[in-house]
Amino acid sequence: MNIVVPIKQIPNLTDELEINGDGTGLDHDALQYVLNEFDEHAIEEAVLAKEAAGGTVTVIGVDTTGELDGALHTALAKGADKAARITGDFPRGTDSHTQAKLLANAIRSLSPDLVLTGVQAADDRDGQIGPMIAAHLGLPYVGVVTGVAVKDGKAIVHKEYAGGLMGEFEVSLPMVVGVQAAHQPPRYAPVSKVRQIAKTAKIDEIAGDEAAGAGSTVRRMFKPEAAGHAEMWEGGPEEVAEKIAALIKEKGLLKG
Amino acid sequence: MLTSFEKLIFILMVAVFGGLTAWGFYQIYRIIRRGRPAARFTHVIPQTVKALLEVGLQKPMYKSRPILTTFHALIFFGFSYYILVNVNDLLEGFLPGYSTAEVSAGIIGLLNLLGDVLSIGVLVGVAAFLVRRFIAKDKRLEYNKDVLLLPGVAQGGIKRDSLIVGLFILCHVGSRFTGQALRLAEMGATNPAQPFAGALSLLLRALPPSAFAPAIHASWWIAIGLIVVFLPYFIISKHVHIMAAPLNLALAKQAERGRLDPATSPTNGQGQALPLPGAATLADLAWPRLMDAYACIMCNRCQDVCPAHNSMRPLSPSALEINKRYWLNANFNAFAGGASSPPLTEWAISPEAVWACTTCYACVRVCPVGNEPMADIIDLRRRLVNDGAELDSGVQSTLEKIGKTGNSFGQAARNRAKWAASLDFKIKDVRKEPAEFLWFVGDYASFDARVQEITRTVARVLKSAGVDFGILYEAEKNSGNDVRRVGEEGLFEQLAEQNVAAMSKCTFERVITTDPHTLNALKNEYPDYGGKWETIHYTRLLAQLIDAGKLQLQHKLSHYRVTFHDPCYLGRYNNGFNPPRALIRAAGCEFVEMPRNKENSYCCGAGGGQIWMGSTPVGERPAENRIREALAALDPSADGAGGNAKRLLFVVSCPKDVVMYSDAVKTTGNEGKIEVRDIIQLIAEAMGEGRLLTSNHKPQNAIPA
Repeated sequence: MNIVVPIKQIPNLTDELEINGDGTGLDHDALQYVLNEFDEHAIEEAVLAKEAAGGTVTVIGVDTTGELDGALHTALAKGADKAARITGDFPRGTDSHTQAKLLANAIRSLSPDLVLTGVQAADDRDGQIGPMIAAHLGLPYVGVVTGVAVKDGKAIVHKEYAGGLMGEFEVSLPMVVGVQAAHQPPRYAPVSKVRQIAKTAKIDEIAGDEAAGAGSTVRRMFKPEAAGHAEMWEGGPEEVAEKIAALIKEKGLLKG
Repeated sequence: MLTSFEKLIFILMVAVFGGLTAWGFYQIYRIIRRGRPAARFTHVIPQTVKALLEVGLQKPMYKSRPILTTFHALIFFGFSYYILVNVNDLLEGFLPGYSTAEVSAGIIGLLNLLGDVLSIGVLVGVAAFLVRRFIAKDKRLEYNKDVLLLPGVAQGGIKRDSLIVGLFILCHVGSRFTGQALRLAEMGATNPAQPFAGALSLLLRALPPSAFAPAIHASWWIAIGLIVVFLPYFIISKHVHIMAAPLNLALAKQAERGRLDPATSPTNGQGQALPLPGAATLADLAWPRLMDAYACIMCNRCQDVCPAHNSMRPLSPSALEINKRYWLNANFNAFAGGASSPPLTEWAISPEAVWACTTCYACVRVCPVGNEPMADIIDLRRRLVNDGAELDSGVQSTLEKIGKTGNSFGQAARNRAKWAASLDFKIKDVRKEPAEFLWFVGDYASFDARVQEITRTVARVLKSAGVDFGILYEAEKNSGNDVRRVGEEGLFEQLAEQNVAAMSKCTFERVITTDPHTLNALKNEYPDYGGKWETIHYTRLLAQLIDAGKLQLQHKLSHYRVTFHDPCYLGRYNNGFNPPRALIRAAGCEFVEMPRNKENSYCCGAGGGQIWMGSTPVGERPAENRIREALAALDPSADGAGGNAKRLLFVVSCPKDVVMYSDAVKTTGNEGKIEVRDIIQLIAEAMGEGRLLTSNHKPQNAIPA
């Protein structure tokens, strides 16, 4: 079985996010990039599927940072078998439409049975890469998946609905899955292994063609602006309790 | 004395049992050789002399349990002396008419006296041990209920072995002693050089004359013949410690305590596959760790001082050594011949126990036979991490944070020096301008909101004392001390290389650290990565400044009664016992030691990655135990309930301790009774605001919650 995991790097959210000069996006150059957390789960689910049903896992991404290799090496250390990097003039923050197109073109030549990718990423929150890859390749797509089991050319996927409901789908392969969470926490990649792999591993290079263009443009990006204010009540517990009671009465929240 | 037939039997027995024993020792040698290569030994001869002297004085044993150790010393001195006695016994057996029982003068008389007195010492000592184990049933010989034990151990193997060894000694020494009494009784003599045997002989005179000869023969056989029969049992008994322990001490690790052995042994480099780091099975351990199993006398002193065992976690360092030994006994020839063991985590120590260790070094320090169970545990962690075993989620996420951001808080590197922003002076960027001291601040001191005020106080005190110092700002990364101790060798190496690279570009003379863990890595482990600087803890620098008159304390803080907690990585690991005490004295506080202090300090429970783990022990946490110990030592009632009672302080000098003990004061319900203070807060207060550069800081006496 041929499992392909498209991945994407996004800004590290523990950094303080800076807005660029135009006020239309993040100041990417000031940010540190890390692998999208949902893609970490996709890699884990792919390795788990391989361990259960056999096959190879290929991890692939568009190199928008010049640092994709680090993420690929880590994936190899976690049990992926092959890694590929799509190269070209794609800057940090390249939109999801362009990345999906580039990934779909590259993945087509890999003739995958199963494509597992993160259901969304924290940078654009549009959750489009998985569905768009599926559309480009003409494959079925199920998103928000929390577990994949492969048997006899079919995949049983569990999808999580709101309110804790679960759906179980049986889908003929090949297919694309948007992973919400792997059915086990993503494993740790020991640094010595990652460093060893960094010295020896071969990463396939695939030249990317042109940018596809974003489906949407951001008019304005800004930090939350304070609207209204909070009033802090001081005093002892009884005093504050009286104020709360008075407010509830004033707002008409109590009947009678 | 012996008949020719008896002599023949004895010689045959020596040949058979001696041969069996020699073969057994050869197998033990082969077993120990199965371990992976260890660091090369230097100074073997002085180390051996030192080990023999220390064993002779029983010094390693007196580190704990002084009363039991005294009983052991009685047995040890007697048993050692018996080597000489037994030679004389052989002569008595083999030389017709030769006996020294009656000699009271000259050198033989003196030897007789010693033999007589020491025999009683041995008998008293062994009796005391048997009473302790079988009648008093000392609880320290038991294990927490979830400690993994091999069936042979769980079913009372140690008890049986102890009984056999105890009875052997009683028979051997008792019979030899009785033999001397019988000889005196037969002759109707007394001997002032054998007072105890002489006393017994008075009773034995009641025997019919015909009984003496057979009784003397019997006593000789029970004394001397028994040794020969017992020799092969040594091979499987814990009693083999009488040989393995001195050897283990002579060959003990000579490097600094705080420098871990490498995760893999060096390869010959000739196209050999890189060995996996750490250990999964017995043969993956370094060979001294296999010898540990033979040196272990199963006394559980290590367990007594283990913070994990004392908080009811399933870790017992001694159980690990004992399991190793019992497994080797059961698979003696197979393992010597090259068979491999199942993974250690299946039978020697549970994975939960592996992850419970705080790497406080107390077990290694207290061990009277020089064992290093902690080294096994770290090697096991190294392999588990390498094999992608499921890690504690807190450990995994912290390692990932450190890998991504260089700090255990997952904060952006440029936030590292944010704590310094509210100072009213700018700390030198040592990357841009030279400084006398490079201050390696550390993660907790830099990022933890509860510690930052203390870090600022360190900066203010140093500045006020005119110390020329600078920091690395965002170029500093986690030192990797605890990263290495959770088994992530690769990440540690990466951090060490990055820090050494950043520091190498700076111009400075010495390094100071706030965090003892950081001190340990920089001082003991960075030299292997090219970082060869003199690194000291800030308490040492402050003590030096006071001595040199550069730091003057104006106020005497005599209204405080304080105790001091030695952090493992400052005290036990790096011998930093005195500077903090000197500082407390200089600040004029009333100082009280806790019962467990200095080398015997009790870990706060944070080390070895525990501070990153989500799990909490079932029992009393080490830090809570320690707060109670401190309160008992400081005795809050001593000053009465009067209004002028002294304030009780629990003084620390490690950022992690600030966090651990502030929590423990709350969880033990002792808020208001005792306060946790970093030593720097005392110094700042004693300096007085006038001598301290000011800044927008909060009052000194509050640890922010």
